[in-house]
Amino acid sequence: MRRGPLTTLARDRLVMGVLALATVTWLLAVEGGQGFGRDEGQYFRAGERYWGWFEELAHNIAAGRPGQSFTPAGLDRYWSDNAPDHPVVAKVLYGLSWRAFHRCTCTGPARFLHPIPVRGRHITLPLFKRDSTAFRFPAILFAALLVSLVYRFCRRFVAWPAAAAGAALALAQPHYFFHAQIACFDAPIATMAFAVGYAYWKSLRSPRWGVLSGVVFGIALGTKHNAWLMPIFLLGHYLWMRRGDVLGTNGRRRVPRLPLAFASMVVIGPLVFFLLWPWLWQAPILRAKTYVNRHLQHEHYNFEYLGRNWNAPVTDSRLKPLRMTAPFVETLFTVPVTTLALALVGGVVLARRRRGEPVGPEAEPEVPAGAQPPRPDWRRPGADVDRAPGAFLAVQIFGPLCVIAMPATPIFGGVKHFMPAMPYIAVAAALGLDRLMRVVRAGLPALRERAARALPVALATLACLPSVVETRRSHPDGLSHYNLLAGGFAGGASLGMNRQFWGYSVLPMLPWVNQQPDKRAMYWHDVISDALFMYKREGRLGMDVGDTGYGPPAIGRSSVGILFYEKHWASYEGTFWDEYGTTRPVLVREREGVPLITAYQRAKP
Amino acid sequence: VNEPELPEATAPAPAPAAPPAARIGLAVAAAIGVLAIVETTAALVAPSRAPKDADWEAAAREIRAAFAPGDLIVAAPAWADPIMRLHLGDLVPLLVAARLDDARFGRVWEIGQRGAHAPEAARGTVALEKRFGALTLRRVERPPAIVLYDFLERWTEARVSRRSLGRPDVVCPWSGDRFQCPDVSFNFVHLQTVEVDTTVRRALLAQPVASSVVVIDYPAVPLGRELVVATGLHDVWQRKAGHGVVDMRVAIADAYASAIEATNDTGWQLTHIDTSASAGRVVDVRFEITSPEPFQRHFVLAAEARR
Repeated sequence: MRRGPLTTLARDRLVMGVLALATVTWLLAVEGGQGFGRDEGQYFRAGERYWGWFEELAHNIAAGRPGQSFTPAGLDRYWSDNAPDHPVVAKVLYGLSWRAFHRCTCTGPARFLHPIPVRGRHITLPLFKRDSTAFRFPAILFAALLVSLVYRFCRRFVAWPAAAAGAALALAQPHYFFHAQIACFDAPIATMAFAVGYAYWKSLRSPRWGVLSGVVFGIALGTKHNAWLMPIFLLGHYLWMRRGDVLGTNGRRRVPRLPLAFASMVVIGPLVFFLLWPWLWQAPILRAKTYVNRHLQHEHYNFEYLGRNWNAPVTDSRLKPLRMTAPFVETLFTVPVTTLALALVGGVVLARRRRGEPVGPEAEPEVPAGAQPPRPDWRRPGADVDRAPGAFLAVQIFGPLCVIAMPATPIFGGVKHFMPAMPYIAVAAALGLDRLMRVVRAGLPALRERAARALPVALATLACLPSVVETRRSHPDGLSHYNLLAGGFAGGASLGMNRQFWGYSVLPMLPWVNQQPDKRAMYWHDVISDALFMYKREGRLGMDVGDTGYGPPAIGRSSVGILFYEKHWASYEGTFWDEYGTTRPVLVREREGVPLITAYQRAKP
Repeated sequence: VNEPELPEATAPAPAPAAPPAARIGLAVAAAIGVLAIVETTAALVAPSRAPKDADWEAAAREIRAAFAPGDLIVAAPAWADPIMRLHLGDLVPLLVAARLDDARFGRVWEIGQRGAHAPEAARGTVALEKRFGALTLRRVERPPAIVLYDFLERWTEARVSRRSLGRPDVVCPWSGDRFQCPDVSFNFVHLQTVEVDTTVRRALLAQPVASSVVVIDYPAVPLGRELVVATGLHDVWQRKAGHGVVDMRVAIADAYASAIEATNDTGWQLTHIDTSASAGRVVDVRFEITSPEPFQRHFVLAAEARR
């Protein structure tokens, strides 16, 4: 089928490429304004250290003793960093990207701030001025991949303008956008969750994708532990899709067959996971158990939600209902409102769809063509039935939210802990937008052909505009940002919503810190030393800036210090007042009038 | 993996729809279109609606020109407090910032934004109201509470002891900067800056001890019409680790006047004890602190006798 010079497939690939390129460009253009959090600082360190293993392996191969790199000591020297906390796929990519693309000043004054010995000047392809950009580049590519995948998936149901809008809406969400530009795992696992879901969706009618599902799932397992939950959500969809087997409405009652995708996830997934994490190699069962227990017994860090500080499993039955609303209210207050409204329309479209009907005129058929439907087949378990796209989106959106809604689940990550739901909200928004496009077109029968052809693009642009503007507004303080319903930065603060965590927001204060005469006795509060090292490596922080350490005694040792505004840090402000003899800050970093960080200086006697 | 070509996206053809459904659909489309415009506009405009430095400086000048000792300055919403202190922190010393409550302040300067008001400025009459850009300055005046006896100011005059059933009372002598009871290192009474319910306060830290009563005895307290006692549990980490209830009984002239319970959820709890029957008398006031589960219970208290 052709229209103009491009086939549909070629145009889709072109649009995917443009979307991916735009994503990379946007994120690279802004990531330099984004500070380093506690987690990212650790992942910089771990990524570089993992690179150290590869470097040593090369040396060992050159020396004719490659086995040395595979001894327990040879492995653990590098791979035990940030273990058992997180598997290494993303961190290895960050480390390799850093090694390949940074502009090496590694033998300069910051030489000793590297986590592995710098043996000499690195020969690199110096794409990026800052080390951190080189570390972050793979995360940005993950975001670009997600945007492309969302477009591709949406195209199975809607025309290209709505699909492109859906892809843009997946990126243009302030909280997702914040995470998409940093070298952490939350945006990459959102990509992998989408990839697993997409692979599974395709596996419903393709055995090849049934096998690939396991590989993709294995990579997801190697990215972050959210992956554990993915098969559960997909199982929910699968049972719904094949409910005719259980209920006997397809002729006879039977247990749905185990589909190839699940078999592949069970067999290939763990294998890929194991192969991708060298720390596991010497004691696979024991260390895998340690890793699992690390997360099953994870501490509840402090987090503000609706004016309360939450830091423990909720046991008070009066508080449970409030706590359970957290992921839903956070979604309601952080995703751009227009996106939410469109997703709601998309949800209605899917809910009203009759079984077997295509989602829209441009959608793939849900009822297989031909008079005789194919026989059920474990390799193509969706070939003979409606694949229930509404149920698929529902489990992908509400699955992650419901897990976080459970009162015993920590909520300290805020949106990032259920971010795999966000691209599917964007897909639902694309479905809603597509339907509204057709409604508007039907309501304007007199529209000239040229205007009619431009209409979908214009409406898609209008749908994306608020999200893009809102996302741009939020940067670099995406964590502090709340949407129109909440009232923006100030509204979020008034509602008692979390403002930030883990020290990201300090970056704009570094020039001020550099100018302080007492900077050698600097108290950094929640900025981890790994982050400080990276600021120094990049020249954003002077080498003579000190760090008095952690906790209230470190305030006592300091002459100048900062305090991040999070509810649970209030006692530290009291310590400042006591130790410095003043309640008057010397600087407040704020966004739209909302304080994020306060700097204090010891009163001169 | 090659995929089959997806259906051609055409300019959406007019879809046949029943008139009412079409009308609803158009209404929804129009509403979302308006929403998109409103949301975009709000995102573009909102940053300029935030108070600017010049607004704060102008409001601060106005306050400084008429500020009197004993005035209280507050920000509304409360999250703007650090910015208020950036401009006026020298007029908000520690004892004011970490106050028991706002009753002793006869004049309250409230710097508000976005229509918010501070609870500290809820009582009284508005004697002044002025706009400074995005900020609204109000001065609220009311009769201040007259404090006859501040238990924090006079804490070194207290007698501290520990009682255990079947044992003689243990006196806790003054030791450096605190009353330190023997044998149990954490059994002391100390005036310090604390955090209760994620707000900074000044209070006496007095941790309960298992199977014992920690007693803080204030001799010769002049009473007025009420005794206000503030209690709570310091700090967020201890509240996370411990779960026990702390009980405190208040005895006035050897008669129990109140029993207060502090838990992780009671916050900074103010108890107003009516002492009008004893107004004008000078009596002993005793606080008795116990807990059936004292682990990580950093109990704190402050009190004032008011006319």
